[in-house]
Amino acid sequence: MTVDDWLAAFAAELRRRRVDPAALVAEAATHLRDSGRAPLQVFGPPAAYAVTLVDSLRGATAELRRAPSGEPRLEATKIIKRYGRSTVLHGVDLRVHAGETVAIIGANGSGKSTLLRICAGLISPDSGHVRIRGTLGYCPQDGGTADFLTADEHFVLVGAGRGSSRTEARAQGRTAAAALDWPRPGTSGVARQLSGGTRQKLNLVLAGLGDPDVLLLDEPYQGFDNGSYLDFWQQVWRWRDAGKAVVVVTHRLGELDRADAVLDLTPGSPR
Amino acid sequence: MRILTVAEMALREISRRRGVLILLALLPLAFYYSRRGEAYWQSVRFVSLGIGWTLSTAALFAGNAARTIEPRLRLSGYATHELYLGRLAALWTVGLTLIVPYFLLIRLDLDVRYGAVALILLLTVAVAAPFGLALSALLPRELEGMLVLLTVVAMQMMLDPETTVAHALPFWFSREIGTYAIENPADPHLMTRGTIHATITLAVLISMVAITSTIRLRRRPHMSLAAQ
Repeated sequence: MTVDDWLAAFAAELRRRRVDPAALVAEAATHLRDSGRAPLQVFGPPAAYAVTLVDSLRGATAELRRAPSGEPRLEATKIIKRYGRSTVLHGVDLRVHAGETVAIIGANGSGKSTLLRICAGLISPDSGHVRIRGTLGYCPQDGGTADFLTADEHFVLVGAGRGSSRTEARAQGRTAAAALDWPRPGTSGVARQLSGGTRQKLNLVLAGLGDPDVLLLDEPYQGFDNGSYLDFWQQVWRWRDAGKAVVVVTHRLGELDRADAVLDLTPGSPR
Repeated sequence: MRILTVAEMALREISRRRGVLILLALLPLAFYYSRRGEAYWQSVRFVSLGIGWTLSTAALFAGNAARTIEPRLRLSGYATHELYLGRLAALWTVGLTLIVPYFLLIRLDLDVRYGAVALILLLTVAVAAPFGLALSALLPRELEGMLVLLTVVAMQMMLDPETTVAHALPFWFSREIGTYAIENPADPHLMTRGTIHATITLAVLISMVAITSTIRLRRRPHMSLAAQ
C-alpha cells in the first residue's frame, strides 16, 4: 500500500465516522514524510487507526445526539399487541419528531419488529393508535424485494409508486446505493444473486426512494461489513439533517449514542 | 400508468424463470398428445386443460412471490387494484403468447371448428390467471396451492361433466365449447353455456382476487395518515 493509498483510505474511514479528515490526514502525512517509513508500519491498517483516533476524540462526536426540535411526525400511542396469550407490547408510546433519530432496542422477542410493523400499518395492534404526518418509508429486516428483478428495476417499480419517472428513480437509487458503498447497482444482476448485505442495501435504498418524511428501519444493516455499517449511520444522519423522522430497530447496544433517543422494549425497563 | 409498470416488472420476473417458461410451453403439449391417438377429439379439451393448469401454476407462484414486496409497494403509493391488475395483465400476456403456437398446431393437425378452439384457448387464459392468483391469496404456501391445483385439474378430467360438482369447476366450459368444436352437427347451446360459464367463473375469480388483495393490503384502522 502506497502512502497516498493509505492516506486516502484513512480519510475515507474518518469521513465515515463523521470526522473532518483534513487536519488528521495532514498530520499523518507529515509524520510519514518525516519518518520515511511505510504507513502500515507506522500506523497499521487505516481503518483500525481511524477507529483509535475517533475513539480518542469521542468528544467530537458527542454533538451527534440532539434534542428534538421539529414537529412530531410519528406518534404511536398506547400500543398493545398480543400473540395468543402472550402480550408482546404493553401500552408502548413512541413519538418521533422531524429531524430526530430514535433507536428501538430490546431483547429477542420483545416486540421491536412488531412495533415497527404496527407503525408502518402492516399489522394491527390489539389497541392503540398511530399518527403519521407525511409520507412513509419502511425497510424490513428481510424480504421486501423481488428475487427476479434487478436493482434498477426495483428503483423504477418503487419510484413509480412515489410518482418519480424512470430516469429520476434510477438516478436517485443509484446515488443512494453509492452512498452505501455499492457503486454500481445497475450491473449487480437480479436480487436473488446479491449477497445478504447487498440485498439489505437495496432494501434500505428502496425505503428512502422518493424522499419520505418518516423512515422506519428494521435492523437494516444485517450482513453489512463494518464500513457499510458506518455508511448506514451516515445515511441516517443525512436523513435526520434533512428533517426526516427516523426510527431504527437495533440490537447493537454499543452504538446507541448515534441516536437522539432510545426506546427500550425490554420488559421491566424504563420507558 | 402505474398498472403498466407493475405489469412490465411482473413480466420481467416471469421471463427470467427459464425453467418455468419451458414447462409452461411443453406441458400442454404432453396433454395434447396424450389424447391425440384414438381419442383425438379430446385433445382440444386436454390441451386447454394443460394450458389452464400451467398458467394457473405460474400465477400461483407469481402471487406468492409478490407477497413480500406488495406491502412495500402499497406504502410507496400504489393502489391495491394497480397491483393485482398489473400482475393479471402480465399473466394474461404470457398466456396469450402461449396459446398462439397451440392454436397453430390444432389448425394444422385437426379438422375442427377453429373459431371455437380459439375461444376455448382465450377463455382458458382469461380464467387461469385469476384462478392461480386467487389460490395464492387463499393458500399462501405453494405446496398447498399446487395440491389444490392438481386436484382441480384431475377432477376436471375424471368427473362426469353433467354432475353439479363438475359445473362448479373453473374449466368446465372447455368441455362444452370443446364438444361444439368437434361435433357435426353441433348444438349451438354448447357455445352459449360454455361462454356463460367462463364469464361467470372469470367474474367470480377476479372478485376473489380483488377482495383478498384489498383485505390483505388494506389501510389498518389504527393508522391516521396526514399530509405534511
